[in-house]
Amino acid sequence: MAEIIITVDGVQITVPDTMNVVDAARLAATQIPVFCYHPRLPAVGMCRMCMVAIGMPRIDRDTRQPMLNEHGKPIIQMFPKLQPACTTRVADGMVVITNSEEVKFAQNGVLEFLLTSHPLDCPVCDKGGECPLQNLTMEWGPGNSRFDYSDKVHFEKPYKLGDLINLDRERCILCSRCVRFQDDLADDSVLGFDQRGRKWHIISKSDPPFDSKFSGNTTDICPVGALTTSDFRFRARAWELTSVPSLCNHCAVGCNTTLDMRHNQLQRVMPRDNAAVNDIWICDKGRFGHRFIEREHRLTTPLVRRDGQLQPATWDEALDVIATNLRAIQAAAGGAALAGLAGEHLANEDLFLFQRLFREVLGSNNLDTRTGVPGEYALDDVGYQYGVGVGTNLMDLGKGTAVLVFGADPEEEAPLYMLRLRQIVTQGGSLIVANPRPTKLDRSATQTLHYRPDSEREVLLALLKLVSAETKQIPQRTTGGAELKGTLEQTKLDAVAKLSGLEQAALAQAAQTILAAEHLLIVYGADVLVHGASLSALLANLLILRGKVGLANSGLIPLLARGNSRGALDMGVRPDKAAGYAPLKQAGLTAREMWPAALAGKLRGMYLMGSDPVASYAPARAALDALAFLVVQDTTLTATAQLADVVLPGTNVAEYDATYTNAERRVQRARLARKVYDASKPNWEIVQAVAQALQGELVLAGAASSTTVTRTVGGNGKSGDGVQGKLTLTTSTASPVAAQESWDYITVGEVAADIADLVPGYAGITHTALAQTAQTKEWGRQANEDYFYDGTSYTNAEGVGLQVPAGAELPKATFDLTPPPATKVPASSTYPFALLVQTLAYRNDPFLHDSLLQSHIPAGYIALNTADAAQLGIAAGAQVQLTSAAGSLRGTARVVPDLPAGCVLVPGGLVDLPVATIQTGALTRVAVSSVAE
Amino acid sequence: MIGDLVKGLATTVRYMFRKPVTIEYPEVKRPVRERFRGKHELKRFENGMERCIGCSLCSAACPSDAILVVPAENNPQQPNSPGERYAATYEINMLRCIFCGYCEDACPTNAIVLEHQYELSYYDRRASIYTKDMLLVPPDQGHGAIPPVLEQVNRTPSPPAQIEL
Repeated sequence: MAEIIITVDGVQITVPDTMNVVDAARLAATQIPVFCYHPRLPAVGMCRMCMVAIGMPRIDRDTRQPMLNEHGKPIIQMFPKLQPACTTRVADGMVVITNSEEVKFAQNGVLEFLLTSHPLDCPVCDKGGECPLQNLTMEWGPGNSRFDYSDKVHFEKPYKLGDLINLDRERCILCSRCVRFQDDLADDSVLGFDQRGRKWHIISKSDPPFDSKFSGNTTDICPVGALTTSDFRFRARAWELTSVPSLCNHCAVGCNTTLDMRHNQLQRVMPRDNAAVNDIWICDKGRFGHRFIEREHRLTTPLVRRDGQLQPATWDEALDVIATNLRAIQAAAGGAALAGLAGEHLANEDLFLFQRLFREVLGSNNLDTRTGVPGEYALDDVGYQYGVGVGTNLMDLGKGTAVLVFGADPEEEAPLYMLRLRQIVTQGGSLIVANPRPTKLDRSATQTLHYRPDSEREVLLALLKLVSAETKQIPQRTTGGAELKGTLEQTKLDAVAKLSGLEQAALAQAAQTILAAEHLLIVYGADVLVHGASLSALLANLLILRGKVGLANSGLIPLLARGNSRGALDMGVRPDKAAGYAPLKQAGLTAREMWPAALAGKLRGMYLMGSDPVASYAPARAALDALAFLVVQDTTLTATAQLADVVLPGTNVAEYDATYTNAERRVQRARLARKVYDASKPNWEIVQAVAQALQGELVLAGAASSTTVTRTVGGNGKSGDGVQGKLTLTTSTASPVAAQESWDYITVGEVAADIADLVPGYAGITHTALAQTAQTKEWGRQANEDYFYDGTSYTNAEGVGLQVPAGAELPKATFDLTPPPATKVPASSTYPFALLVQTLAYRNDPFLHDSLLQSHIPAGYIALNTADAAQLGIAAGAQVQLTSAAGSLRGTARVVPDLPAGCVLVPGGLVDLPVATIQTGALTRVAVSSVAE
Repeated sequence: MIGDLVKGLATTVRYMFRKPVTIEYPEVKRPVRERFRGKHELKRFENGMERCIGCSLCSAACPSDAILVVPAENNPQQPNSPGERYAATYEINMLRCIFCGYCEDACPTNAIVLEHQYELSYYDRRASIYTKDMLLVPPDQGHGAIPPVLEQVNRTPSPPAQIEL
């Protein structure tokens, strides 16, 4: 990439020679108006708005040097006609004129012509106020038109392009940005052009129409109001909205969003530019799936069970009941009789205080973020230890990068990774997609490996064997090399090839790609996460052998379940490790162990925060019923909350200021967008109130045993604040769980500061520091100058987040190559098929309730390979029954040719096909039989 | 001194025989000028449809932030206004309003007009907020045909314009 000098309107600038004239002119602070050009899309030159006069130095044919005039300046020869600036690459000595009469005449003409078929219904258009066509018309337009106003073209409207996106064909200026976005970036070629001339318009080519998980982005890049969302249709005008920076918590990507609020109501969700996370895009789940924020039937007051009925109560009453009962259980059976479950969508501050409450106040390690469903994700420590290094920016990667996607379907599990991984390929990187079944990312891959289910371990060992054969020197600080060598010696490539159904050459090719890579990224998802370290450690071994641990742009990226799954692990909401992965002397119960313990009477009290086990795992109901005392803190009266003795009204992401940690361990901050209900408070405050109430209870118990306790109750006049105030124990013999730290946080920033002090890796990550990572110094919504022609693209003025170092980046980290033991579920003649559970983006998720995406949740099906279906005599659409050791399930058969033989694919998380009821573990073996009609 | 007294009383006596300028309000009301700016009215088209399309431009133009508009989508079978959009909520806070008439200027459909009603008094502040049904004129008092640009619902695709050569 050479630097060259060009002149734009008399200003000389140095630019890279790969730039086009529009981008180059912008460096010289000259705006060239564009409609069809977008910096993220290849230029096509359709709109003709960027016509400029371009000249080149005249070259002497003999000397090949520029000819000079009498003043010693090069003679500039202008092109005879205007040139489109977006499709013209800059060249050395180029002269660009953007303000001549000729250029203005052309710009006026293009705008006048575009407006001949534009309805000018700006007053009713959702884009009005942030519309590039409005802006460019004001700045470059002629101000009048020679065309008859009544001669405008008319199309029928409203016209739905899909059920999420509306198309107004009259407003469309046919720039093809949406078509190109779908074709080039999203890899869903669902849009196209139809007809010609004045009837020329955009159509959807897919069934169901506009079937893409990224469709909402087309409304952002549409330079007119042709594409608008059904979600924001006629809700408010752009200038009436108050934008609040927030985060999407649906998946582990952690996309930066803006919540556009009006009257304390969410009007729309827009992407917030963050080059290291989501660029300027978000998926439809993030854009349309946030209606849960203002869900009806919200809990607004604590509920306490009296006479078998949940009845409204004050905070004081509720906290009193909680404190009395939890203390009673603790006194009778010890802290081990208490357990807590927290949701993975909650903020770091909530989770940190939650585990402090259990470990410090209640003396229990029975903590988990899962709900004990068989086949749920294992705790992913490997992804922290060998995660991508600080400074990783996937958007910059290209040539020299190899990405191995193993056991993951990014489009469904973390949709935005699809765009990011595709971009790496577009920029010259290699992408190996290894899955038991085809996924959409296969189309973008440079190599796909479809291994047979349950041969993951062998495939990885084979790759390790091939890579280690080429590795001369094992990096320093490595242990377990001998064990790995031993295991690899037993691995025979031909046997692996036979078992996995992969060609040896394909494995060798993948190994070569991994060996040749300068940056090695390994993305793994559901299929690996359910197996936990037994597979992910092998992926980490690939990195260790290649010496790519603890480095920027290399490492593991686990596609965890939710927006703060990583934060929950970091904060220590888990039975086996404390905050910051500190080892514990004695591990507590996992969620799966809690249910039998509750039924056996060993577990007597539980506190569930944002967790709904009854909905995800039906057997939990009996266990929760068996408890002596149950506290549930959630935003609505969930199925679990209906069983509770005390229900506390919680808050959601939009209702308090807090931080979240994404899959790449980037800590980001969401802010308060919506005032909470009168009687509700942020989750962390509730946890603190519970802790304070428990400490108050401790005081009373202590007073009885003549311990001197001073207690100052803060009289701040606010009712319902529970027991406010400090607690000073003059003797620490009163109770084994004497408070080590005071519970007197006033702001959430103080909790974050405590996390920064106490959790290794989070040092320096305070709310102040997070705000300082903003791209501009000014706060509030500002047009993004990089994409100034967008109208709806705004600068990230609120902070792009800070990355927590991976375990391997710590100074004394050692790297363990020891291969984990195999965990195999052998196929038996009773249950010959392997059950593949597909994680869907649109599933029965309580967060998607009330949103337009509800209609995108598919009906359950049981997919079989064509050969298997023929052998079993099952036709597509027939009823089939799956039987496993745990139970049986009926569903409609779907016959798929490209599914590997010997496995059944069932989407997970659906109401009509609850596959969790027949799962037995990480891998379930099932029998398939057809059901007689 | 007596001269001054007589002079003063003479004025009084003179005015006793003139027509009084005071009006017995509220029985009698003084007429206002044609361009007087009083209480707003939301007008209708002659077919009874609301002129207001819920564009919020009046609210944007309002210097005292007195107008609240919450738009919504028309039911194509029973549209409230021509086109796809109408004002589901339309409120003017008469205590905030300074009767400048900028909303009239901003209105693209001449829906809001400051009319001649000036009796705007209330017993409490909440009553100063005039809602849409208080502002909207009765359906039979509409005027004017719907301009073509607004008639887009159910409009079939038209062929290219026929230009006479």
